[in-house]
Amino acid sequence: MTDRRDEFLSEEDLDLENLSIEELEAYWRLWLTQAQSTNDADREVYSHGVFDREPAVSE
Amino acid sequence: MDNPYVRLTNEFNEGRLRAILSSGQAVVLYRLAIMSKDGDWILREDAEALGHVLATLQLRGARYRYGAPLELRWLTHGWSSHLEFHEGGLRLRCDFVTRPPRIAPGDLQALWEAPVRREAPIVSLPLLAELKKTNREKDYAVIGELARRMGDPRLELLYSRSARDLVRLAEDHPAILEHAAADRPLLSQIGHGREEIERLLDQERRALIRKNEERLDRYQRAARPWAAEWPRLSKELAGRPLPEAHEMMVARAAELLPDEP
Repeated sequence: MTDRRDEFLSEEDLDLENLSIEELEAYWRLWLTQAQSTNDADREVYSHGVFDREPAVSE
Repeated sequence: MDNPYVRLTNEFNEGRLRAILSSGQAVVLYRLAIMSKDGDWILREDAEALGHVLATLQLRGARYRYGAPLELRWLTHGWSSHLEFHEGGLRLRCDFVTRPPRIAPGDLQALWEAPVRREAPIVSLPLLAELKKTNREKDYAVIGELARRMGDPRLELLYSRSARDLVRLAEDHPAILEHAAADRPLLSQIGHGREEIERLLDQERRALIRKNEERLDRYQRAARPWAAEWPRLSKELAGRPLPEAHEMMVARAAELLPDEP
């Protein structure tokens, strides 16, 4: 029987430690580029700070 | 590293340390997870630093999002400022504070004296864990992994989200446990076993989430007149150079956004 441990992050996340700086950069770039697909959906949303949503602006 | 947020951080810091990368991008630089497409910085609390950051963003064609003006008058009371620009097909968002939540004044001062240096200056692991005590469940998983990387049993006891790890740490470091329990009440219950600690960890997380929600509610209540004005103001700001937009933001916020929430 192996000793279990509580897991918090995915295998992919935990593998980031084994990437070279170039690999990390390429992976992050790819992720960021793909993440642009949600720009419309999160246009009004905040991920940091004390504001959570932009007040609606009519066109 | 060709990460636009790293490049921007280094431009903010040309000639002087003014900006420390925090939150999601710090998590990336600690190689913990790829989890944020925005940049979040703690800025040095002086007018020169804020002016340099605005000038740097002006060169990128940045615009203000809804938020407080990048001015000491508001930032010293914990408000946040938010700008964004586009570069190379990417939307880059820049979020700023000078008084990050849950960071004691002494720890904030120490941050400026000795930031962690990776590809750019970033917050230390314990400060990052404090910043991650948000109202988002996923941030507590990050804290759990951050704690494992701290390499200091006292800090691990203070930040771990794993009942298994806590029980093991308590067995290995009983003297440290006694001191750490003064700062984290659930540690005093560790003798009751793993299941009880799991329950207390859940309770602790829910309490931290509620506390952060209450903090954000206070700011959002105080910002209601500012929020009501924003749709009109943002139209007036559209297309204006950042220095001019900034002056307009400051003038209008002086009437509608209280310094203290």
